[in-house]
Amino acid sequence: MAGDDRELVRRCLAKDERAYRELVRAYQTPVVNLAWRITGNADDAAEVAQETFIRVLRSLHTYDPERPLRSWLFKIASNLALDLIRRRKRRPLALEDLSDEDGPAIEAVDTGPAPDEGIRVEWAEERFQALVGELPEHYRAILHLRYREEFSYEEIAETLEIPLGTVKVRLHRAHENLRRKLNVRGTKP
Amino acid sequence: MKTNLSCDDCRRELTALVDGAIHPAVARALQSHIEECDGCRARLEEHRAIAVWAARLPAIEAPAWLEGRVVAAVTRPARIRAFVRRAGAASLAASFAVTIGLLALYPRLAAHFGLPSAGSALAHTVASTIDFLVAIPKQLAAEVLFYGPMARQVWLAFHTLAALPRAALVVLQSPDAQVAGVLLLTLGVAIYWILRPRSHERGIGHACLAL
Repeated sequence: MAGDDRELVRRCLAKDERAYRELVRAYQTPVVNLAWRITGNADDAAEVAQETFIRVLRSLHTYDPERPLRSWLFKIASNLALDLIRRRKRRPLALEDLSDEDGPAIEAVDTGPAPDEGIRVEWAEERFQALVGELPEHYRAILHLRYREEFSYEEIAETLEIPLGTVKVRLHRAHENLRRKLNVRGTKP
Repeated sequence: MKTNLSCDDCRRELTALVDGAIHPAVARALQSHIEECDGCRARLEEHRAIAVWAARLPAIEAPAWLEGRVVAAVTRPARIRAFVRRAGAASLAASFAVTIGLLALYPRLAAHFGLPSAGSALAHTVASTIDFLVAIPKQLAAEVLFYGPMARQVWLAFHTLAALPRAALVVLQSPDAQVAGVLLLTLGVAIYWILRPRSHERGIGHACLAL
């Protein structure tokens, strides 16, 4: 845990209102963006972020200062966002959700050309963003933590409270899902 | 360097290779396979592109109201407690000041409005309070005196009812009562036999005719 965070937490525990504000200001953008990536909705993301900070500030006395504050915040935010998604059931069950993480995946039907045909990377970033939105929410969370927040696999495992192997499998499946869809749609627009 | 790595084995590790989350020895084996395999090399480029684009995914700004709402929600209970404490202290101080003021001003007000003196007003208030406090137990005592005898009679009646089965048993032990009982039982069976419903004679009219 960074020294600044340690001091900030100490001041928050002393019920310093300015420290509350500093903590929210320091982490509101990453928390909102993680929630947005998972929920896919800016209003829901703001709601999740608000609840995250309220919970964090109210239960700060239970916080282990040896752990990074950022991981703790993201853990609460991702749990809240995933709970919100589950409650609303906006998205139908994805094919990938039916498979065991450590078992063989149910392969998506790929009608695109085989990779050995030498596909060039010609995908559009906008299309990429839309395809990320189609991923299952826990894949979106992992992609965000890995590439936007630059978390290591170990940090992701700790934040999402899943085994390291599951992080690796989910990240690879997210990559594969995106790659297949990009090839199908990118080469045959 | 030649490796016996299959394309499937290699492709399963490409994401971890892009992320640098792989053991260096495995990474070297993968690299040597990739150098010789066009398909896996193309696949690696795709995974790299995905990683780059995932890092460039757009972000949004946190809403301006977030900080204020969070802080208000977290500090609200403390604020309410502080307000209640302050209001309580202020009302106590105000009532104390009013009491002192009234006591100080009472002789003048009494003289002006023709009220009783401070001493007699105090004695009157104390007497009224005592009367009020005594009235409640007095009323209760009156109620008990009124309902007490009635409750006692009801209690005795219940006791009498409890003795009835025992009395009936004693009566049934006498020969006269036994004869009378047998006669009554016989009479009852006879009446039932006469009045018993038949398949084609139902209703009270048939019963009367049978009699």
